[in-house]
Amino acid sequence: MTLAQQAPALILLFPFFGALLTLLIGLYRRSWCWPATVAACAASALAAWSTVVQVAESSNALVTYRMAGWVPPVGIEFRVDALNAGVVFMIAMVSLLVAIFSRTVVINETAGKEHFFYTLFQMLIVGVLGIGLTGDAFNLYVFLEISSLSSYALIAMGRGRAAFSCFNYIMMGTIGASFYLLGVGYLYIKTGSLNMVDISRIMHEQDLFQTSTIHIGFLFILIGVWIKMAFFPLHRWLPNAYTFAPTATSALAAPIMTKVSIYVMIRYMYTVFDPNFVFGMGPRSDVVVWLAVIAMVVGSFYALAKRKLKMMLAYLVIAEVGYMVGGAWLANKTGLTGAIFHIMADGLMTAALFLSAGAIYYKRKSYNVTALKGMFQKMPFTMGAFALAALSMIGIPPTCGFFSKWYLISAGIEAGHYGFVGGLLFSSLVNAILFFRLLEYAYYGEVETPYVAAGKRGKKKGFREKSGRDEAPLSMLVPMWSASLGLVLLGFYSGEVIAFISRYVAEVQF
Amino acid sequence: MKKVGLLTVLLTGALLMVGVFDFPAWGDPYSPANRYLSTHYVNQAEKETAVPNLVTAVLADYRSFDTMLETSVVFIAGLAIFAILRSIEGPLVQARKRTESREKRAEKRDAGGDGQDPDLIVQTTVRLLLPTIQLFAFYVVGHGHHSPGGGFQGGVILAAGLILVAMTFGLKNTLKQFSERRGLAFGSLGVLLFAGTGLLCALMGTQFLDYSVLEAVYPFTDEIMARSHSMLVVEIGVALTVMSMLYLIYANLASHGDMKKGL
Repeated sequence: MTLAQQAPALILLFPFFGALLTLLIGLYRRSWCWPATVAACAASALAAWSTVVQVAESSNALVTYRMAGWVPPVGIEFRVDALNAGVVFMIAMVSLLVAIFSRTVVINETAGKEHFFYTLFQMLIVGVLGIGLTGDAFNLYVFLEISSLSSYALIAMGRGRAAFSCFNYIMMGTIGASFYLLGVGYLYIKTGSLNMVDISRIMHEQDLFQTSTIHIGFLFILIGVWIKMAFFPLHRWLPNAYTFAPTATSALAAPIMTKVSIYVMIRYMYTVFDPNFVFGMGPRSDVVVWLAVIAMVVGSFYALAKRKLKMMLAYLVIAEVGYMVGGAWLANKTGLTGAIFHIMADGLMTAALFLSAGAIYYKRKSYNVTALKGMFQKMPFTMGAFALAALSMIGIPPTCGFFSKWYLISAGIEAGHYGFVGGLLFSSLVNAILFFRLLEYAYYGEVETPYVAAGKRGKKKGFREKSGRDEAPLSMLVPMWSASLGLVLLGFYSGEVIAFISRYVAEVQF
Repeated sequence: MKKVGLLTVLLTGALLMVGVFDFPAWGDPYSPANRYLSTHYVNQAEKETAVPNLVTAVLADYRSFDTMLETSVVFIAGLAIFAILRSIEGPLVQARKRTESREKRAEKRDAGGDGQDPDLIVQTTVRLLLPTIQLFAFYVVGHGHHSPGGGFQGGVILAAGLILVAMTFGLKNTLKQFSERRGLAFGSLGVLLFAGTGLLCALMGTQFLDYSVLEAVYPFTDEIMARSHSMLVVEIGVALTVMSMLYLIYANLASHGDMKKGL
């Protein structure tokens, strides 16, 4: 096999070996952990790009890789098609950017434990990439375990209430994973197979869609991934967990973990199960779309009400989950295209926002909204990247946020679901209010020293105000700007990306 | 809120039961789970891998990728304990310094290793027992692909031996023999041994973890025996990781993360 044929496995193997070697190196030289992590993530992104190219070039838009060389239903298979190639590439790119960014914050926030941090960091990437790549239902559960376990540890490494909010997350996450596993078990007892495509084939051939076991299995898998993606009534764990986590953790987990769960949902709805089965059962799809509308509205409102920048962003993640779930459940091709495109766009947007928020925190030591005052004079580049990401979040044309929203709105009109259209427009308006208020603070406000508890003799501990410009280091600016420019780039190339996605969507029969 | 929770639990339970009514009969040899893939494993596993223990064949060859990742789950669990619990000298430990003097006083009180006075009977018993435990563990690991056993089980038995030593001779003394750093390195090396075997296959031109090409590495084997041998190598890696990680989890939990004074 040539190196290119190994690429689907290499996407995952680079960070996997990277994690193991990082720990070994880190036991002796802690300062080498960061370069090792960045190198592994860069190689992984390269392999992901090579896979995307192969998928685009292959006639049926499919690249497979047989783990251990066994033929699929017997062994495990990696299966990359037009649906997950883009998602995996987005995950690999975001991981690379966050890895570069993490250089200074990890030393600051988890001093002495860098080697543990970076090992778990790469294991989280392995887990999420694996969920995106695998074509095996049980293998997906194993990756779910890896990603959840390492994200629990990474979140609990934060300060303050991190441990408590992580405990809530562990409870919810474990319940979600159990639901998923139960669902897979139900499918297995009826079909006897674990390979996703094979399960689908057996269910079609033996016409199992009418049996109650399959119905309940689908429901359990759905509830499992909904908990994992923090979909509306099951979202309570997310804001605190992401707010109190260390900067690098939230910047990595927020863009990739919820998005990959949405990918899993779409994969199950359209590849394993059948749209006729999913939507052919009375009011079920309508209920889900209305839940998505509530998620958008509630998420946006809560974000508006919060006083902490990171908390705002965490609630926006919940609102964005509503966009994608709604799009996937509108039961038309435009909605599905919009949802898949929004997975990539939103991953990049969330990354850009969390990265710039992290840089602001690094300099100001505060997530309060008032700490943003006058930031355009102090950190013009950081705020520039933040503004660009904010524009994309609102949905202003040259950025990719506009195109995904365009697709989602036209899908809502096509389906005649005006509640969804209204909810989406309303949520965009709230985003506009929220971000323009922040930008106004940053542009017109006077620099305000954030509140820091005074130490002995009035000396301020841990915070030194510098006069004039006080920009974040280059290791932060580069990934931040790459993410923000990536948003514009994805906007410009949205035609190509959507043509690529529609190779998957075209095969779905509604 | 409690009522909502109860209602949800009842609803989920009811749904599970509804699904159960539709299940194939208990022990039905013609149920899909028994008829489809399992038949292949039962009929072909020994021919294809030369391993009589079917569970090991599925675990370490057909679905070896899952097992590699499950091993790394154990590895991650150990690291997670370190990431959360292990106290490293630095700003985080400043607060603990104050309570240290109290600890020192307590330590002086029960001088003589950590914990209670060493008990002659217990120590002698452990001295006699430990080699047997370890030998049995090696048997479980080494014979895992021929009889019940394997890397996970053997690793746990090895770890139990180490923990027994730590409980009788004190954690401090045990850590002198088997240090924290060595444990972490072994944990990483165990997974590396597993994944490295897979990578070697990929480097030799087949898929990751496709052991059949390794016949060129082992002397006097054919493609099928190469699979059997590789399973042994892989199980050793699993055992290494499980042993060191469980031992370190114990050391962390027993000493509240400072690796000084155990139970």
